[in-house]
Amino acid sequence: MEELKKKLKEQIIEALNLQDTKPEDIDDNAALFGEGLGLDSIDSLELMVLLERQYHIKVEDPREGRKILQSVQSMAEFIQSKQPA
Amino acid sequence: MAAISPQSTFEGDIFSAPMVHTDSNLLSCIEPDYKPFIPGNSLRRMTRVLKIGLTTALKCIQDSGITTPGPIVTGTGKGSLQDTEKFIKEIAEYKETALNPTPFIQSTYNSVNGLIALQQKCTAYNNTFVHRGFSFENALLDSMMLLQEGASHTLTGAFEEITKEHFYIKSRIGFWKEQPTDSRALYTHFSPGTIAGEGATFFTLTGTPSSDSYAAITGFKMLYKPTAEKLSVALKDFTTAPDLIISGRNGDSTYEHYYETLDQCFQGIPQLPFKHLCGEYDTAGAFGLWLAGQMLKAQQIPQQWFPFSTEHLPANFNSILFYNHFYGEQHVMLKLERV
Repeated sequence: MEELKKKLKEQIIEALNLQDTKPEDIDDNAALFGEGLGLDSIDSLELMVLLERQYHIKVEDPREGRKILQSVQSMAEFIQSKQPA
Repeated sequence: MAAISPQSTFEGDIFSAPMVHTDSNLLSCIEPDYKPFIPGNSLRRMTRVLKIGLTTALKCIQDSGITTPGPIVTGTGKGSLQDTEKFIKEIAEYKETALNPTPFIQSTYNSVNGLIALQQKCTAYNNTFVHRGFSFENALLDSMMLLQEGASHTLTGAFEEITKEHFYIKSRIGFWKEQPTDSRALYTHFSPGTIAGEGATFFTLTGTPSSDSYAAITGFKMLYKPTAEKLSVALKDFTTAPDLIISGRNGDSTYEHYYETLDQCFQGIPQLPFKHLCGEYDTAGAFGLWLAGQMLKAQQIPQQWFPFSTEHLPANFNSILFYNHFYGEQHVMLKLERV
């Protein structure tokens, strides 16, 4: 899980071009939107694309997406839940 | 006015800035530090032409002293090529699935206008013209009509970028010279093609000139694919001989005959070509107009940018005729006068 979260942070930084942010600056449980990283609605679409490209997971229901994209922790848990056992 | 171009036009004094040149047939913009103009969180998503376009527009607003711009009217031949190329490549790479929204949104031609309006909270008229070599000129014409209808001012501009991919595509259809050409010697290398360029230029236009104005536009004509005779008649319509001519001559032997018509119509009037400074692109005319405005206001010529000029240049000049065309198709004539 720790390895997945670290990788996820690197992928988020690259996908969203967060130039002045390092993986260690992102708290696992900090909100990605609004406060915390301060991302916006276009970023949420970019993160959906990231899940699809990097982990082959398609989020069909936007209401589900809101919960998944809450934090790095919630994203990692979702990815792990979709991995084959 | 404001301009980001391959020369040092954004900051400092253009009358002392050394000339930037290339021998790679491509002149790229000198990019400023964008951070004083664009918040970091917005900057991270923007590609080059968006940053160049938005920053130039914001600097122009600063320069003019207006608080909130009214109508925003721009022209671009290609818009954000970098975003367009990225989006198209991803369509192929990901087989039309999992596409990033950002390059798609930003590949639309009116992105720069949208960004200016969002950042400046403008809700007035907002339009981008995409008409190849007439893109900027149609924006200018539209702005003049808006001023005629009562707008107090318009923010009018143009922006263009060149990418590696686009340079290559255009080289396949003969847009650029085959041999590497020193831009300083562009006008002595008579062969097909020219050198590529890019840039963003913005103007704040008003219906009546004030003492702060750079210049007044007192004549304006556009001609599409004219014959030499029609061009000659149109040029001669500018009855009063200008003190100086700024021409879009670019060393391309294929279309040189149009500039020879200009030479014949205005014999003895000194000419300054500008394409060795900015390269050729759909909206290069905006750079030429900016240069003419700077020179009229300062009553000075940046001599270091024209080292090849053997003509006797006037010490004072009250009027400049600007003539440019884009690969023989879109021809533009503008008369500028000192205010």
